[in-house]
Amino acid sequence: MANWLNLAFQFLDSFAFIVLAAAGLAIIFGIMGVINLAHGEFILVGAYATTLAVKAVGLPLPAAMLAGAVVTAGFGLVVERTIISGAGPNWVWERLEPRLSAALPDQAAAVLPSGPLIEPLYDRLADSMVATFGLSLIMVQGARIVFGNSIDQVATPFGEVAYGAFSYSAYRLVLAGVSVALLGLVYYVFTYTDYGMRARAVIQDDRTARALGVNTERTYAATFALGSGLAGLTGALFAPVISMQPTLGSQFLVEAFVAVVVGGASVVLGTALSAAGLGAIESVFSNQYGTFFGRIALLLTAILALRFLPGGITGYIERVRKRRRRES
Amino acid sequence: MATETTADGRAGPVGRIRARLEGPNTVGNSRRFWAAFAVGVLGLVVYPAIGDAGDLSLFLVLALLGLSLSVVWGYAGVLSFGQVVFFGVGGYTFGVVSINHATPSGITAALVLGVVGGALVAALMGYFMFYGGVRNVYVTIITLVSTMVMHTFMAQTAGSEWTIGDAALGGFNGMPAIPLLAVGIDEVFTIQLVRNTVELQAPVVGLVEFDLFYYFIVGVLVLTYLGLRALVNSDYGRVMVAIREDEDRTRMFGYDVKRVKLVVFTVGGALAGLSGVLYASRNIFIDPQVFGLTFATLPVIWVSVGGRKSLLGAVVATIGIEYLRVSIEGEWALVVLGVLLLAFILALPGGIVPWIDGQLDQQRGEAPESRPDAPDAPAEVTDS
Amino acid sequence: MSDRSGLDRRSFLATGSALVGAAMAGCSGDGGDGGGNGDDGGTAGGTASSDETVKIGVLEDQSGNFALVGDPKHKASLLAIEEINADGGIDGKQIEPVTRDPQSDNQRYQELTREMIDDEEVDVLWAGYSSATREAIRPIINRNEQLYFYTTQYEGGVCDKTTFAVGPTARQQLGSVLPYLREEFGPEIYTVAADYNFGQLSADWVKVLANENDAEVIGEEFVPLKESSFGSTINRIQEADPDFVMSMLVGANHTAFYEQKASTGLDVPIGTSTAMAQGYEHRRLEPPAMANIYAGVNYMEEVPTDSNTRDGGFVDRYFEKYPDAPYLNEEAETNYFSTYMYKEAVEQAGTLEQPEVIEALESGISLGTERAPEAPEGETIELDGATHHVDHHMWVLRADEEHRIEAVENRKIPEQFLTETVGCDLREEAEQTQYTPVDFFEEAE
Repeated sequence: MANWLNLAFQFLDSFAFIVLAAAGLAIIFGIMGVINLAHGEFILVGAYATTLAVKAVGLPLPAAMLAGAVVTAGFGLVVERTIISGAGPNWVWERLEPRLSAALPDQAAAVLPSGPLIEPLYDRLADSMVATFGLSLIMVQGARIVFGNSIDQVATPFGEVAYGAFSYSAYRLVLAGVSVALLGLVYYVFTYTDYGMRARAVIQDDRTARALGVNTERTYAATFALGSGLAGLTGALFAPVISMQPTLGSQFLVEAFVAVVVGGASVVLGTALSAAGLGAIESVFSNQYGTFFGRIALLLTAILALRFLPGGITGYIERVRKRRRRES
Repeated sequence: MATETTADGRAGPVGRIRARLEGPNTVGNSRRFWAAFAVGVLGLVVYPAIGDAGDLSLFLVLALLGLSLSVVWGYAGVLSFGQVVFFGVGGYTFGVVSINHATPSGITAALVLGVVGGALVAALMGYFMFYGGVRNVYVTIITLVSTMVMHTFMAQTAGSEWTIGDAALGGFNGMPAIPLLAVGIDEVFTIQLVRNTVELQAPVVGLVEFDLFYYFIVGVLVLTYLGLRALVNSDYGRVMVAIREDEDRTRMFGYDVKRVKLVVFTVGGALAGLSGVLYASRNIFIDPQVFGLTFATLPVIWVSVGGRKSLLGAVVATIGIEYLRVSIEGEWALVVLGVLLLAFILALPGGIVPWIDGQLDQQRGEAPESRPDAPDAPAEVTDS
Repeated sequence: MSDRSGLDRRSFLATGSALVGAAMAGCSGDGGDGGGNGDDGGTAGGTASSDETVKIGVLEDQSGNFALVGDPKHKASLLAIEEINADGGIDGKQIEPVTRDPQSDNQRYQELTREMIDDEEVDVLWAGYSSATREAIRPIINRNEQLYFYTTQYEGGVCDKTTFAVGPTARQQLGSVLPYLREEFGPEIYTVAADYNFGQLSADWVKVLANENDAEVIGEEFVPLKESSFGSTINRIQEADPDFVMSMLVGANHTAFYEQKASTGLDVPIGTSTAMAQGYEHRRLEPPAMANIYAGVNYMEEVPTDSNTRDGGFVDRYFEKYPDAPYLNEEAETNYFSTYMYKEAVEQAGTLEQPEVIEALESGISLGTERAPEAPEGETIELDGATHHVDHHMWVLRADEEHRIEAVENRKIPEQFLTETVGCDLREEAEQTQYTPVDFFEEAE
């Protein structure tokens, strides 16, 4: 009996970890076609912001977590405006260039580029990888320079759930609940809000959306901010449980990418199902054979899923639906 | 597209060779380019006399790895994070075989087997992916995950049960005591390549020291580069590029796309394996860090910055970026590196070498090749 | 889109960045840490050192995965060098430290080691935190017969002519804490270790020591380095219900184990060779995460020797030089005393030539409490000439619910494995091997 409960809790733990690791990335990658290799570092921002909010400012933990998510969202907005879309530098350049041209002698003025300085990184998989890789180097080393090699950690709240000889951290189970709620929230945002409708329109066909009056610039910016905020929330939620070092983001990366791609196009359903599937595999193998086998099993399952389910889980569901429609 | 294909001197043997090596798929199709190339190679040859070539030999070895990704990605459109898997397999295979047969014949065999090992694993992975219909970003993630699998697995092979013959895999600490690279056949002809400095009396300069490994790697790199140029500019190369540009259309023209991708991927694997073999023999050491996320990402960085569609770009960027990584010192080193990467990819999304080529074309008054890169996020991921 | 006349935006940006890049690549900036960083490029020189200075190379991680534990080593080396210089230097010659940051990257370590030996021509080299690093550079060290100090606690067994592995070995560390816990709590042990060489070899030593102390390992578990979720591990420990746990978990991700253990309410005593002393978890995590954890180490900042804790003692001197440093960790003390050992050896040999210095080291160097704060007043630690390892003064230090550290036991533990079991004697026979317990002990299988 106890082992079943153990397994159930370990599954919830795994599920929560994967969902939270993948959430922000699913939105950014799925919707904007940007591979964010700095995803782990956005989690870092959220974790550090939360920890500092508790330790330095003295906020209670829930408020600090919210603060951490908001700070990361803001940071993501800045990144989006400067690097991903290039809007910031382009805007500055647009105003600067004519004045510079006027001020400089003709020869020098001819050298200056007219028109926008930077092109957006949307849908440029490889380039966004290099750019965000550079960003992650800056962020990790920047965190190290500013905060040192580690910062003190906040304690895990809530105590334990005891059953017989065993016990499990109640907080980890709460995280499972939070992850489900998060998926629900994202679903709600994308289905029932104006922003969500605009975002989905932009994904499907951004030119038509723009022709219909949607401000695509703002939608992209908001989407990136939302994805960053979610990543920051992940960092905030895990701040009590992981070591606060500048490299903490790397432990989320593999699960995040794997879950997003295995999940497929649908942000909510895909992520949820892939997290459930991968989490189940990992927890079962970990439970039976140890964490090494759990990890290998997760990775191998991902490979098999990618091979046999083109389009990920969402693609599979779509095909099943289509087949049923045809048959009916 | 304006290229000087029907220029002077095409009849003779030099012209024929040049015709093979030139084409729209590579940068540099003029006499001036080849002159500059010759100067560059000469520079490499002479460099040890005037500078410190110790680090440079490492960069050249890694340039082979960059080339392997350039071929697979830039010319066949397969973005692979898995080149380091073949790299590592090549290095470890070399280690295992050469430790068990530590004679020059054995070591030569180990070299060959390392390359074969890389190619084999690539063939298996390629078959698994391409013949299963896996495409685009899914290929990328599968290769990334396989790198993770190798890393997790190799890091725990520390125990003495993880020994193949006499060679302990060594786990996290790496495989120690790899024999010095020597090629040849026992009793007939052997030459030690690693840690072997030959001294010659040169007419003007006096006593000159040649580090054999350095010249070996220069030779291998130049030959590989030229060979790849020939491949890429051949008919087969055109098929590769066609697949990169539009896979479905190429398939509809009747080409066996899966097979071409598999072959190219295997070639890439062999190249990466060769790079791994040379890496292990140069360092007399190999460890699972080569399967790590950072090292797996580096080839993508090199090739992106250098110019995905340019072989020369891959080589130049690998050497440049690795040199930068080793030489920038201090607390801000990594920050500066990150900023540089960011700036370069935002400024020159096509890569350095194609940009330089474009500038030179402009100066000569030709229209630059203005083919905007097609967005490469696949529809499968961005449909909602 | 792009201007025909003049540069387009790309050229503009590219040229700008290239200029910046070239400027940065050309300069080797200074370390930015508080220490006296003698970061020059290669000084001209044909001889190993000038008549004026002793060149000491220090390659310790100041960034990357091991920065947390590598940086104190770097700082401590510089502290020792500064003290020796202020005191007249080695044999009247000032020490010139040459330091670079290898960024926890083994490839970089190899290149920098080569530079240190070929270009800088250092007289002695301290390098590396992890065993993987040591093994990556040992081929270069061996080829050049470079005098090399490796100061991290490690699995033990390195019998190498020019390498002095002066940190405590797993047998010494575990051998201090395991017998104590066996006495206190009982014979049933559950081992949790990082899934790589050090962890696996340490687990082998636990089995050997259990055998020697009438205890039994009832369960063993290895956790991959990247893992940070310990739910299933904790459940297995609860199921096994051991008398105490031996933990050889390593790295940032594994720190999560202690936090998660505390939040599950698991309170079995834990003996460790890796936690607290290196990564100061008891300062970073909130109590009572590290409660009831027993560290078996040669040194921690809290070690209660007079030379360590008194006013003007080791701790004071360290934090006076580095007021922003977060902690004075185990390996820092090893870097510190080994620098003094080198000084003694050079003065004994009367020369900087490395073979002679090695010979002097092999005659056995002994340090008192002032230079080796791990030893209490009146006691010493010895460098064993035959094996190039150190007979350490080992402590068992316990953290309580408030994370206060209390020393519960201490004694001198000599290096046993190479001396007694393997029979490594580098004075008689020059070797370059690493031995493992599996080859010598049945119970380690």
